[in-house]
Amino acid sequence: MGMKRKWGALLAAILAAAVLAGCGGQSKAPAGSGSGDASGLPAQVEKIKNAGVLKVGVKEDVPKFGYLDPAKNVHEGMEIDLAKRIAKEIFGDETKVEFTGVNAKTRGPALDNGEIDMVIATFTITEERKLSWNFSDPYFTDYVGFLVLESSGIQSWKDLDGKTIGVAQSASTRAALTEQAEEDGITVQFMEFATYPEIKAALDSGRIDAFSVDQSILWGYKDDKNVMLPDKFAPQEYGIATKKSNTELAEFVNNIIKEMKASGEMDQLYEKWGLK
Amino acid sequence: MMEELAALAQWHNVRFMAEGLWITLRISGLTIAFSFILGTLLGVMRYSGHWLLARIAAVYIESFRASPLILLILLFRFTMPLKPVNSGTLAMTLFTAAIVGEIVRGGLNSVDKGQWEAARSQGFTWWQTMQHIVLPQALRKMIPPLTGQFITVVKDTSYVWVVGVQELTGKGVIILGQHGSTL
Amino acid sequence: MDRFAAFKWQALFRDWHILLEGLGRTASTAGLALLLALALGVLFGVLATAPWRSGRTVSRLYVSLIQNTPLVTQVFFLYYALPHFDIMLPTPVVGVLGLGVYHGAYVTEVVRAGIQAIHRGQLEAALSQGFSYVQAMRYVILPQAAQIVLPPMTNQAVALIKNSSILAMISGGDLMFQADSWSASTGYYGPAYLTVWAIYFAICFPLAQLARRWEERVRLSRGGEVTAA
Repeated sequence: MGMKRKWGALLAAILAAAVLAGCGGQSKAPAGSGSGDASGLPAQVEKIKNAGVLKVGVKEDVPKFGYLDPAKNVHEGMEIDLAKRIAKEIFGDETKVEFTGVNAKTRGPALDNGEIDMVIATFTITEERKLSWNFSDPYFTDYVGFLVLESSGIQSWKDLDGKTIGVAQSASTRAALTEQAEEDGITVQFMEFATYPEIKAALDSGRIDAFSVDQSILWGYKDDKNVMLPDKFAPQEYGIATKKSNTELAEFVNNIIKEMKASGEMDQLYEKWGLK
Repeated sequence: MMEELAALAQWHNVRFMAEGLWITLRISGLTIAFSFILGTLLGVMRYSGHWLLARIAAVYIESFRASPLILLILLFRFTMPLKPVNSGTLAMTLFTAAIVGEIVRGGLNSVDKGQWEAARSQGFTWWQTMQHIVLPQALRKMIPPLTGQFITVVKDTSYVWVVGVQELTGKGVIILGQHGSTL
Repeated sequence: MDRFAAFKWQALFRDWHILLEGLGRTASTAGLALLLALALGVLFGVLATAPWRSGRTVSRLYVSLIQNTPLVTQVFFLYYALPHFDIMLPTPVVGVLGLGVYHGAYVTEVVRAGIQAIHRGQLEAALSQGFSYVQAMRYVILPQAAQIVLPPMTNQAVALIKNSSILAMISGGDLMFQADSWSASTGYYGPAYLTVWAIYFAICFPLAQLARRWEERVRLSRGGEVTAA
């Protein structure tokens, strides 16, 4: 009988440990306060300030936007600068940002489970997505483009009639291209992959005839064996996303974007990163 | 061809792959350690025949054994407030524990029931019998299937690439994406 | 509970045919791969116990090569690397071949154990009666071994069905892929993953139970000497 009680206790201990571990990710020890004037910040922003660091989901494989340089091991790009700008607004210190690498598939869920405060990761604003997350005003407009192997002889979008196009899961590319294909009276097939390197590998191996995502992303995969088609479609407006319930935070972020656009600060960012 | 291979062997690529190897080893090490503990517990619980503990263990084992690991990794990634590498390790641990639990139960079943009666008649408690007599014998029978399962764990870490964790397979795919056209 | 909101469930039920298509692809891939695994397993399992050294070596080589590398790597090799050698296997073929060859190695081990569980005297008796080695296997040993290997074989089938979800990583259109792709485009992953988990459970759990019951029966009929392979 004694042993059974012991097992019960052990089980209880494990369950308790599991629950604690589950919560551990969310509990934040309040960092030493007193830095700067706290008044005026909405409660949700204040909460981030108390946590001592802004957690941002960014791309790590999109040069000029969000890129983790393997040689230097630092994040860089215009979206990284946006994150730093927001951190500066909250903490008065642009270094208080913690970057988490996300891809098209993981960025939404990472917001929902509270692992990150916001996503600045070439995230296109769509009506469907607005049901799940808050989006700021667009900070950049990109277009869907195409990368094909030079040896394929494909010259334009219309040449892709009857061909297979590789797209990223969770990207809005597929819907946009389906519509465009209908309009132009051509038929295309799609294959979906979780990550960009996989689409590139599929292009190189001839599994797909074209690699199609936002052009900003495609440039990162341009090499001397492939070419960018001149066609581009479907404007993709990038917004900063926050968890649906974090409406105050969303408004706070949106004000920063508005201000940056009005003051010309955003144009400076485009210039810095050679965009547009 | 030699030039291309030389390009692949550049220092930063080697370091890149080594990072992947380290992540693979860390995930498998943690999974093996924790799933062995949890699995042993589950196996003993199920073997004990205790009305509640055995049932909890059975439900746990059957639910996890019947689901694809990839699904668990995705599900945990998307519902737990954890970094991908941690949610992946957790999914792998809970999944492997169910299999270890069955191996442990199989091992315990293979020990002659007569041993129980002999030990209990000598005044050993249930736990003492389990700890000193039954479990050590069962462990010997469990070693081959356990080794096989733990090798599987190392292989299965490649599934966590599905949530973007750059373990060995992931690093390989990224390199393939960068250098594929030169192959 | 945002991620299980009612409107997300409604969206999933509206698109139910997407999951059904995936289930169809999972069933056909797993079915064909299972046949391939069985064929390879019997072939290499018999070779593993054959009197010829070269046969045993070939079998050993196959099993260790396959069992010691990840399925993901093998499938990625077939999918991404083979085309560079001008071998372009269609995605469904990659699935069947990858899964079949991978599980074939495990079935080989099951078959080998099954054959070895049959008393050696039986083979000698058959050979002395004028049976050739292949005939003795075909008419005497394998039918008896079949009974013993049924439970572990069923477990392999369960493992294969679960592993067929690997197709999701190569745009394979299986159940896992369809759920993944749908939830990726809508963002409603909660209901999708939960539903898919229930479907896999509904397929795998009864099979696993069947294996358990057979295992129990074999153990009883053979006096408890056979442990789980």
